[in-house]
Amino acid sequence: MFWRLIHRLLQANRGRLVTVLLALGAGAAITAALLNLRVDADARLTREFRSFGANVVIAPPPAGLGSAQSPQTATLDESVLQRVPAQFAGAPVAAVPFLYLVAEVSNPAAALHTVVPAVVAGTHLPGLAQVGPGWRFDPPSSSSSQSVRCLVGARVASQFAVRPGATLLLQFAGREERCVMDGILSAGGAEDNQIFVDLAAAQRLAAQPGRVSLVQLSVTGNPRAIESFLAALSVALPQAAVRGVRQFSDAEARLYERIRGLLSATVAIILVLTALCVMAAMTNAAMERQHDVGLMKALGGPLSRILHLFLAEAALLGLAGGILGAAVGMLLSIGLGSAVFGVAAQPRWIVYPVTVFLTVAVAVAGAFPLRRLASVRPAVIFRGEA
Amino acid sequence: MFLRLVADSFSRRVSRKLLTAGALALGMAVATAALSVSLDVGDRLAFEFRSLGANLFVTPHADSLPLEIGGVDYRPANAGADLPEASLPKLKTIFWHNNIVGFAPLLDLPVEAWSAALKTPPPTGGAPRATLIGTWSRHPLAIPDGGTFVTGVEKTNPWWNVEGHWFAEDMHECVVGVAFARRAALRIGDTVVLRADGQTISLTVSGLLTTGGPEDEAIVAPLSYAQQLAGRPGTFRRLYISAITKPEDAFGRRDPSGMTPAEFDRWFCTPYISSIALQIEQALPGTDARVIRRVAEGEGRILTRVRVLLWLVAAAALLAASLAVGATSAATIIERRTEIALMKALGAGSPMVKSLFAAEQILLAAVGGGAGYAIGILLARFLGQIVFGASPAPSLLVLAVVLALAIFVTLAGSFFSMRRAARYEPAPILRGE
Repeated sequence: MFWRLIHRLLQANRGRLVTVLLALGAGAAITAALLNLRVDADARLTREFRSFGANVVIAPPPAGLGSAQSPQTATLDESVLQRVPAQFAGAPVAAVPFLYLVAEVSNPAAALHTVVPAVVAGTHLPGLAQVGPGWRFDPPSSSSSQSVRCLVGARVASQFAVRPGATLLLQFAGREERCVMDGILSAGGAEDNQIFVDLAAAQRLAAQPGRVSLVQLSVTGNPRAIESFLAALSVALPQAAVRGVRQFSDAEARLYERIRGLLSATVAIILVLTALCVMAAMTNAAMERQHDVGLMKALGGPLSRILHLFLAEAALLGLAGGILGAAVGMLLSIGLGSAVFGVAAQPRWIVYPVTVFLTVAVAVAGAFPLRRLASVRPAVIFRGEA
Repeated sequence: MFLRLVADSFSRRVSRKLLTAGALALGMAVATAALSVSLDVGDRLAFEFRSLGANLFVTPHADSLPLEIGGVDYRPANAGADLPEASLPKLKTIFWHNNIVGFAPLLDLPVEAWSAALKTPPPTGGAPRATLIGTWSRHPLAIPDGGTFVTGVEKTNPWWNVEGHWFAEDMHECVVGVAFARRAALRIGDTVVLRADGQTISLTVSGLLTTGGPEDEAIVAPLSYAQQLAGRPGTFRRLYISAITKPEDAFGRRDPSGMTPAEFDRWFCTPYISSIALQIEQALPGTDARVIRRVAEGEGRILTRVRVLLWLVAAAALLAASLAVGATSAATIIERRTEIALMKALGAGSPMVKSLFAAEQILLAAVGGGAGYAIGILLARFLGQIVFGASPAPSLLVLAVVLALAIFVTLAGSFFSMRRAARYEPAPILRGE
């Protein structure tokens, strides 16, 4: 009897049914899309922050008292690279070693054979773009020549007036290396004054095989995850000093909080609005139902049973609207994700049941105006006075 | 007669009308808040990104190659060119001077440093060596338009954390990097003696500096003391500038030398980081202003994405508000079936009924939208305070948008119910069927 009544109720007014379903479905769609975007945004933001480049540095331990301040002294063993985890929390960790020395640099092709001291950094050339994604390489590094290749900082290049393809002579303590210039690096920092060569060449030049001056890491994760990564790596590498690059980690933490707060606040507001919307639709329904209720009461139906009937109807509508709307919303958020971040947002399946549950809850809460029906007096209704 | 009917409807059903207007106001309040925050958020976020510090770096054009490793310049103190400190106020005269949030000139030189508590000063070369960075912490600078601009490393390097307090200029104070302080056994309140080229100077340690970078091994002191020790009065070697910029788009990335005059004007009058760099080079002749790519590119990329994201969210908020308001106005029409039937029975045509209801809805929308705007401004303030610690300024543009939206949404929301109402047959309704 109960279900037959509900069945009849749902079929009674197709237009109204569609309106309420539409309101609930639209609400569920918006909720699902925003919740998915909100959950996904955490992961996206931390990935976007990697466009700042390296955020962790492994350096030799702080110099002891009275150590001479020459750039060549403090180095680490290359094996620290193997101790760095290749992955952290599902995202790859980029690790690029650097070995610095001050070499005498000259351009053997120039008429005036001037020798200028410059900083030579031995590194893993293809990895440079990972620790300095904003750096501009001109032309984009691509070369298959057999000789030692180098990337030349913008200021060094203008000092020697050399263009890609030229050869530079690097001399250090009686040893020398020739390198073929592969491209010009423009970073806007100290890197503009440096010459980047393969790590092995720099180690030969400095006569420090298997040594590096520091390692730069780019680690993806929210500020808390980075902290734990730092702590774990410090334990794994007791012979080195592991530290976060505070310029970026501090700002990242701050921005992360701000953007997240903003998204959460907006999502909360929209959820409240959706509830209001459903409530309005339900009030609408209550108005139309006065006659039904009047009749039920006149036939002797207990009030609680009548209310249960309407609540069950609302819950059913919520379920249907939620299941349909949330599915639409998930699709929507995938599209939105690709519009904002260039990559489709990953559907987070937890969002689906949460949205359906929220929609049912809102629909039942929205049925609150139906309580007004309790005060309906059949006689007044049937006289047509209400 | 028409106006009297409308007025009558409002005065007889005050509580109903208040309820509808209330729902409308609530929806529009949310729309206002979302719009205000989104309009404001770009500027606010661009400012937040300045916590990344300087995005422009200025060096003398004729400088020799710096031998900088890990932030320490290994050139001798007297090598390389320098720049005049007196030209710095000109930075605040460029076209985009309001976008320059802060700048700090730096002059560094190698020094020997030891605690004044030592009984005998160590012999030359026998004391711990460190880099002395002379700069401004919070320096009041008189600028050409008559005002004072307070700037220094606190603005350009906000992640430099000082335990104790920053040095005050002319008070013989300095801050010491934590690693060096440990090495030289220095504490806050101690006096440190600095020596370079036979000259010495004594400064009080006012704070310990943590940067997570090479500055942890350095001593940071007011610029004038570094100039005095280096024997280079009124000069500096490096300049960091923090500027609010517009993320570079395809146009901003073009080479300005290949532009037509009209394009160049547009490029010059847009706060792209490259155009600000050019203006700085023009204001400070003989300099190279370079973009710190890591900061600038990362900032531009994230800023663009977050802005799009927030606009989408604001659009969703508007959609949700429209749905809520539309549903409410649809409800009000259905409530009044009997009234409509009576009007029709008394001879009112469908257009008359429709225009009557439309007038009511517009009036409601104006009242509800206006109230909603007021509430929404408060809400936006609250949101702004929570998220950014600053509230967005109320905008008249938002008021116009919200009122138009309220009217459109109420009319659209009641459109279908009104069409249905116009089709009502009076007799069955009046019979109560």
